[in-house]
Amino acid sequence: MHDVARQERSAIRKAVKQAERPSQRRAFLLAVPLLAFLILAFVMPIALLLFTSVTNPETKSVIPNTVALLQSWDGKAAPGEEIYAALADELRTAQANRTAAMLGKRLNYELPGMRSRVVATARAVTTDPHAPYREKFIGLDPAWGDPALWQVIKRNGSSLTPYYLMTAVDLEKTPDGAIQKVKGDQAIFIGILGRTLFIAALVTLATLLLGYPVAYVLTIAPAAVASIMMLMVLLPLWTSLLVRTTAWVVLLQSDGIINDILMGLGLIAHKAQLIFTRLGTVIAMTHIQLPFTILPIYSVMRSIPPTHLRAARSLGASPFSAFWRVYAPQTLPGVVAGSLITFILSLGYYITPALVGGPGDQMVSNFISFFINRDLNWGLASALGVVLLTVTLSIYFLFLRLVGADKLKLG
Amino acid sequence: MWLPSYATPTERFFRTLVVFFSFAVLVFLIAPLFVIVPLSFSADPFFTFPVPKYSLRWYYDFFSNERWITGIINSTITAVLTTILATTLGTMAALGLASPHFPWRRAVMAILISPMIIPIVIVAVGSYLFYGPIGLTNTRLGLVLAHTALATPFVVITVTATLSTYDTNLSRAALSLGAPPLNTFLVVTLPNIITGIISGAIFAFATSFDEVVVALFLTGAEQRTLPVQMFSGIRDQINPTIMAAATILLALSIGLFVALTLLTRKKTD
Amino acid sequence: MNTTMPETAAPVPGDAAIRFEGVRKSYDGSHYVVDDLNLAVARGEFLTMLGPSGSGKTTTLMMLGGFERPTVGRIMLDGKPVERLPPEKRNIGFVFQNYALFPHMTVAQNIAFPLRYRGITGAAAEARVAKALDMVRLGHLGARKPGQLSGGQQQRVALARALVFEPALVLMDEPLGALDKQLRERMQLEIKQLQKSLGITMVYVTHDQSEALTMSDRIAVFHDGRIQQLSDPETLYNKPVNRFVAEFIGENNTVPCTVQRWQGRDVEVTTADGTRFMARGDAARTGGEASLSIRPERLIIVTDTRAKVSNGFPAVVREGSFLGDQLRLTVDALGQTLVARIPARDIRRFDRGEKLTLACDPAHCRLLEG
Repeated sequence: MHDVARQERSAIRKAVKQAERPSQRRAFLLAVPLLAFLILAFVMPIALLLFTSVTNPETKSVIPNTVALLQSWDGKAAPGEEIYAALADELRTAQANRTAAMLGKRLNYELPGMRSRVVATARAVTTDPHAPYREKFIGLDPAWGDPALWQVIKRNGSSLTPYYLMTAVDLEKTPDGAIQKVKGDQAIFIGILGRTLFIAALVTLATLLLGYPVAYVLTIAPAAVASIMMLMVLLPLWTSLLVRTTAWVVLLQSDGIINDILMGLGLIAHKAQLIFTRLGTVIAMTHIQLPFTILPIYSVMRSIPPTHLRAARSLGASPFSAFWRVYAPQTLPGVVAGSLITFILSLGYYITPALVGGPGDQMVSNFISFFINRDLNWGLASALGVVLLTVTLSIYFLFLRLVGADKLKLG
Repeated sequence: MWLPSYATPTERFFRTLVVFFSFAVLVFLIAPLFVIVPLSFSADPFFTFPVPKYSLRWYYDFFSNERWITGIINSTITAVLTTILATTLGTMAALGLASPHFPWRRAVMAILISPMIIPIVIVAVGSYLFYGPIGLTNTRLGLVLAHTALATPFVVITVTATLSTYDTNLSRAALSLGAPPLNTFLVVTLPNIITGIISGAIFAFATSFDEVVVALFLTGAEQRTLPVQMFSGIRDQINPTIMAAATILLALSIGLFVALTLLTRKKTD
Repeated sequence: MNTTMPETAAPVPGDAAIRFEGVRKSYDGSHYVVDDLNLAVARGEFLTMLGPSGSGKTTTLMMLGGFERPTVGRIMLDGKPVERLPPEKRNIGFVFQNYALFPHMTVAQNIAFPLRYRGITGAAAEARVAKALDMVRLGHLGARKPGQLSGGQQQRVALARALVFEPALVLMDEPLGALDKQLRERMQLEIKQLQKSLGITMVYVTHDQSEALTMSDRIAVFHDGRIQQLSDPETLYNKPVNRFVAEFIGENNTVPCTVQRWQGRDVEVTTADGTRFMARGDAARTGGEASLSIRPERLIIVTDTRAKVSNGFPAVVREGSFLGDQLRLTVDALGQTLVARIPARDIRRFDRGEKLTLACDPAHCRLLEG
């Protein structure tokens, strides 16, 4: 090919760009409706979830004046009367607007006891609206005289907070502002994340061990057998996840079929606890994820010419070393793709642990749901979502780098 | 096929072992699906095998219970609307992505596929937080929008795969013979990629019809879908009516699967 | 051989069917896939664009068909610039590689396709389709789907579809590439006959040199995005203008040499081993490095060693391969390996290591640059 002359290069480049532009624009315009739709209906909700994990409206909206006055407080000893008066004033308003409980609940996350303290105090200053407040507050609850309590209120005066995100990874701020690990039985979230990663890894490994031979046999079976085998791999993929989980709930019951079979075979003497266990969860998840691991491995194996194994054998390799040194390395891209997909999807499991697992097998998703629905702690639920999303997206980027988005196939 | 003729005895042994192991894995894959079927026809309320006596009582239960019926109707309406929306948006995007001139193709593809891999709870919670203030929670529209986002990657993937086998010379030929671009698309391109679009639509329908988690977060009693009804049923007290519901869902999945298989088989003829 | 054959074909008159003026095409802005293309095609001419893959011939055809736009330059059809005219408005018959028959339509529907966009419907269209099918001798297959036809039949349908609306210009992109040798040769003749009898202007792309030589009025040899030579088949074969053309068309012996002196169009050169040769060339350059192009069939074995021959040189036999109508003899000579073709009547046994004297008429030793 002839190079474009140096002095013409910018003009030619411009002409080429210009010539491409109409078809470029046409192609992009076709994708715009979907992109716009996804941004509105999918990306924005997730962005809001990210935002909810750092947003902190309660304190600032309920007691704005108190918070403002606390800015000039030195933080060493309990504040002066004017701050107590401001708080009393605003708590009265809160009592009238029924927002005192919301403030109490928010502060209670960081300082246990605050909920009842705030609610009781709000009621007290409403029924007895007379200064001086400082003594009245401390008389109601001595904690009102503790600088640590005022530190918490001051800290929550800003509309953004790192509190939820830190809690989600078991970190907390000491009253003097240093970051430390949460101690004792409050530190549960790293454990939950670890459990989630562990279960996902276990499921990935199990699907790989079970799936690799299946993918291989699919390539060597006669066409008619292979197509039936393929149906057996694809049909579960098509069946609703809920139906498959239901099946496992039934199978794993104490009076269920698996226990019957195991006892019938004399393998166990007493009924084993299978439902609501880690084992049951991993078995059910492995069953559900297996096709996702098999399909990418199979599609890579199918593209390896059988002549490679024959060539290796004719060159003197034993069957085992021909397989291990010639065949297996070529299947690696499929193994990587299948494992990553299963690992990514396993991280986000919710239905199966909820129905098949016990309390100790609940994964990050289940806790997110718990904090939304039961605890109504949206901030913490969102922060856990941020942690889960970060882990998932990191592995998705790895997948994009190693495999590529357009390699995803459906059967 | 199973064995090369030059296989050594050890190799034969290991290969046979691998084949039997694989069949066992396939049984593990398939058998659990069909456990629920006989139980749904049992006359007993217990999940025991062999089923002592068969009856249709749980199906009478299912079809005479208004909550299940509402669930089926809601799921169907939601899935149909989702299918229409997702197939339209996804097909258009796939057509754009098929152009060699598509800018930032890899990045756009990564975004379009992401609903498939982002944990469903995150989608559910995000939608719950976002749709709430704008009045879309506890509405069918909200659920359809969220389901459409989840279903579009399937449409994009299947239509893109079909387009990759489409001979662009067919479009060029149509143009050279005098057909304007729109006619070229409708008369030549569309008939040749329609199987891919229908496959994508089937995927979209199944995605919406089976989806539980987002529906749990976004629906009130009035929009309750069949899977949500099932999920709460299993949580409270698992009973044979749920087996009937699961069997119906299973039958639907198999039906869609068979439709898809026939469709793709016809294409390769 | 007739040495008065014109070097280039007759100039195309001003109202050429096709005219490329300074056309360049670049996809990336830093390389040209088609560079400095100036070409005129006369009405009723059969022009072949020949070249290896990536030489720019298909890109040129796509620009002509309206599927690509030139980055620089103009393309005129019947004297009117068409760079911005979309393909559906060009009224050009286009036969694609692999035919591009619409698989969901019957043969008859495929052929009727261009008619409906020209307002021809109903009985008129049916008559045209029937006529087109008869023309390609497929009258009985109108109701079939393309998938049910053989490769050769599909090829004919594509031809009928491109001709049914009676375009004045037809473009073909490697239309016979997928057919086997016998069928290909038959179709070459049929296409050529149709083109002549219908008086169509044809631009035909192929990488098969024998196809190009058989069918064309003129051939444009493409390489590296440029036309290397544009001439009728005989001139192209006998008087290649450069090494690429010499080696791409037919079999060729390329012998590096140094130019000593010119006498008109005759030139004296020395090869690497010091042998002096008389050759013929166009570019009068002295003292430069050049090369000789000698066709294998132009090398003769000198049997009478006492006779005075020009351009005689010793050679040692390496091996001979029998090709039926001739013998392909590989020899060591002039410090390299040469190939000679021995006609059937001169075939005898050649032993490895046998010493021969070969010669070549100066009129058939072409001096090429580089």
